[in-house]
Amino acid sequence: MTLRRVGLIVPSSNVTVETELPQLLRRQEGLDVSFHSSRMRMTAVTPAGLAAMNVQRERCVMEVADAGPDVLLYACLVALMAGEHEEHQRVESLVAEQLATGQSPTLVRSSAGALLEALEALSVRRVALVTPYMAPLARKVVDYIEHEGFEVADYRALEVEDNHAVGCIEGSRVMAAARELDLTGVDAVVLSACVQMPSLSLIADAEQELGLPVISAATAGAFSILRALNLPAAVANAGSLLMSGTDLYDSAATAHDSINLGVVR
Amino acid sequence: MASVYFLDVPENRPVVEVAERSQQVHVTKNGPYFEISAAEPFEIDRRATGARHAVWYSCVAGIRGFRIAGWDKNSLRFEIQS
Amino acid sequence: MNALHDKHLVRGVDHAAFPTFDPVGTVRFYRDVLGFPVVHSICAAGWGPEKHPDFIHFFFDIGNGDRIAFFYYFGLEPLPGGRGDAYAQFDDDVPEFFLGSRHLALSVESEDSLNEYQRRLDDSEWATEMRVQHETIESIYTHDPNGYIVEITRALRPVTPQEDVDANLTIDALVDVVSRGDASIHALLNRKAELIVERSDDWDTLLAQPEATS
Repeated sequence: MTLRRVGLIVPSSNVTVETELPQLLRRQEGLDVSFHSSRMRMTAVTPAGLAAMNVQRERCVMEVADAGPDVLLYACLVALMAGEHEEHQRVESLVAEQLATGQSPTLVRSSAGALLEALEALSVRRVALVTPYMAPLARKVVDYIEHEGFEVADYRALEVEDNHAVGCIEGSRVMAAARELDLTGVDAVVLSACVQMPSLSLIADAEQELGLPVISAATAGAFSILRALNLPAAVANAGSLLMSGTDLYDSAATAHDSINLGVVR
Repeated sequence: MASVYFLDVPENRPVVEVAERSQQVHVTKNGPYFEISAAEPFEIDRRATGARHAVWYSCVAGIRGFRIAGWDKNSLRFEIQS
Repeated sequence: MNALHDKHLVRGVDHAAFPTFDPVGTVRFYRDVLGFPVVHSICAAGWGPEKHPDFIHFFFDIGNGDRIAFFYYFGLEPLPGGRGDAYAQFDDDVPEFFLGSRHLALSVESEDSLNEYQRRLDDSEWATEMRVQHETIESIYTHDPNGYIVEITRALRPVTPQEDVDANLTIDALVDVVSRGDASIHALLNRKAELIVERSDDWDTLLAQPEATS
């Protein structure tokens, strides 16, 4: 067993990332893993709330990097996708630069980048989404994903603004929204495009029911972390993405490879 | 004959013109350089050239058959190398 | 061999970095006095093999998108010594000209620009220490709050192709005389004369391609 450390930077009101990611990665064959989090204060998923959260990024990187993780996941998807296009690359680059300046070998991923990486890995062209966000924010996330070259065929916004409440959304409500999606010509379903909305227990059944690959921000994050750690994805009962071994690694987006060179400033 | 070379840039021209006043020197052009040839020692007086000190102390590009016998703030003297 | 193997590819200074023990003075000097915008900052710690203090790395724009950057290490005391700058301290036996040799020179386009920077410095506690006309450039000098020499310079006329040829010839001669253990200005000027004679037939080619070296 290899012991690997995973650093997480999470919104302070998020309870789901630190639940679902350990559940997933502890089921990975051949991996002994520990998790080390730092929190950015954020309670309301509004543009102002997200902006206030982003200025805490540098502090959080300092705190997590002190633990010497193998890989760090910036785990707030909407904070990045509510920004300008390609914001995830900008933020990943800034975190990578900060780490490299302190000669940290830690790799950097973000849940926003990981979701796109998973869609790319699955060769998805058309996708359907369930999000917990208010409609304007959901629209921004859809635009962001479309700008990255994926067609969003249909989506649902559950319109929950309070982030604590997002963490308590019932699985039945998520599945109900998924069943309403028009899946004509769709290659994959994102059951929760949010690391706070719980969905892990639904993924495997949803894949059966919908007959399509089903991913979430959490499973995509786990996939990206496993790929960063160079471990074949082997997590049972969490969708086909996480049982794909190394089959999908070649086709996954390689943008990360160019920003983690550990350049000494 | 021995030779001294000066790069042909505007700042060096007065230096070459003053040198040329000596009876014993012969000035030709060799590519981007003035080539001042002589069979005997000669001297250039900076005050006659009006060159600023930074120009003065960097005006010589090369010497062949001469040696610099003296180079102070006002005088640059060449003697035949023994 | 690839298509780039003989190309000159670099595009100026991304950043030149220096340590500082006086971030307040440094920000006042570069941002408030000279008016160089702060364009980037990074805080980090010693996460690599060598443990060191938490630090901040901050950047000022010096034109063209080029940057000067500083490292400020929290809690680190200035190194002992009497002369020099924040990076290096020297004993009394190190001559002044040697201390003055390392410096950063920034360029401006006009006399008005140079005068403006002189005015900004002279209105601050880092007044212009010297204004000099060299052969083809005019410069002002001061020491920044860290003891680093900063020069601001303008060209009095463009550099000509023959000066590039001459510079290449000088450097070839320098490498030759120093390599053979004969390092003197006399040896250099003799070697240059030899090279001038050797290259007499090639001036047209050399002046057409001033960047080409032998």
